[in-house]
Amino acid sequence: MQFKNKRKNLSGIPTSSMSDVAFLLLIFFLTTTKFDIKKGLGLVLPPASTQADKKVRLKQENITKVWVNQKGQVALNEEIVPLNELESKVRNIVLENPDMVISFKTDRQSKYDYMVRVLDVLQAAGAEKISLSTN
Amino acid sequence: MAKIKKKERPETLIPTASMSDIAFLLLIFFMVSTVFVKERGLNVTLPRAAEIEKIPRKNAATVYVDRYGTISIDDMVVEIPQVSIIMQRKLAENFNLLTAFRTDKETNFGIMSDILKQLQEANALRVSFEAKLKR
Repeated sequence: MQFKNKRKNLSGIPTSSMSDVAFLLLIFFLTTTKFDIKKGLGLVLPPASTQADKKVRLKQENITKVWVNQKGQVALNEEIVPLNELESKVRNIVLENPDMVISFKTDRQSKYDYMVRVLDVLQAAGAEKISLSTN
Repeated sequence: MAKIKKKERPETLIPTASMSDIAFLLLIFFMVSTVFVKERGLNVTLPRAAEIEKIPRKNAATVYVDRYGTISIDDMVVEIPQVSIIMQRKLAENFNLLTAFRTDKETNFGIMSDILKQLQEANALRVSFEAKLKR
């Protein structure tokens, strides 16, 4: 008697869709990855006034005062200036005297936003020596 | 008439067997190179500015200040007088420390002024005010 040979099913993992799965995962990771690149306005603070040896005396003509009040108004050398005119004015001052130090003061009741906006303008105007006063 | 022999074209095939290898390689690369943000921080709305520059991740110590004046360093809520001590310790670990402020734009500048004074006392003079790019 002859037995019929049982036909074995070929066992295999289908690999043709493997790349689809991998690419899907890849695209998922590519789109969900959020690169945390931080950006901001850089500044170097003046050293604390208690360190007497580091105290720097400046001539009055080398200081430009920029004040921000609690309403967000800006004063340049005690004169109120609109924010859009500040850049050109500061640029002229800095070009005339490269040693000019900008003494930047903000009212304690003022919003942080106003201070950042003015600092942004000062940096855009090319002012490199900005002294952020803490009062 | 002679029969024109049909030219036998070689079958064109793109080898797809290694496709999944490539995809998985890329996938693993992205998974490994993704850096997750360690700090939870506070919920802040950053101000906008145009003159922003990149903050180097290595040297940056982030200080969160939210609109109610809560200060958070390394996910620890701290009071103003503690800031100086913490920053001194951080400065001892990394001489090129840069303090990056993630401050809400509605925050009173008075709090920022106090923190900046603390930084001056700690001699951590390099600061950066994080902002979003103004469009």
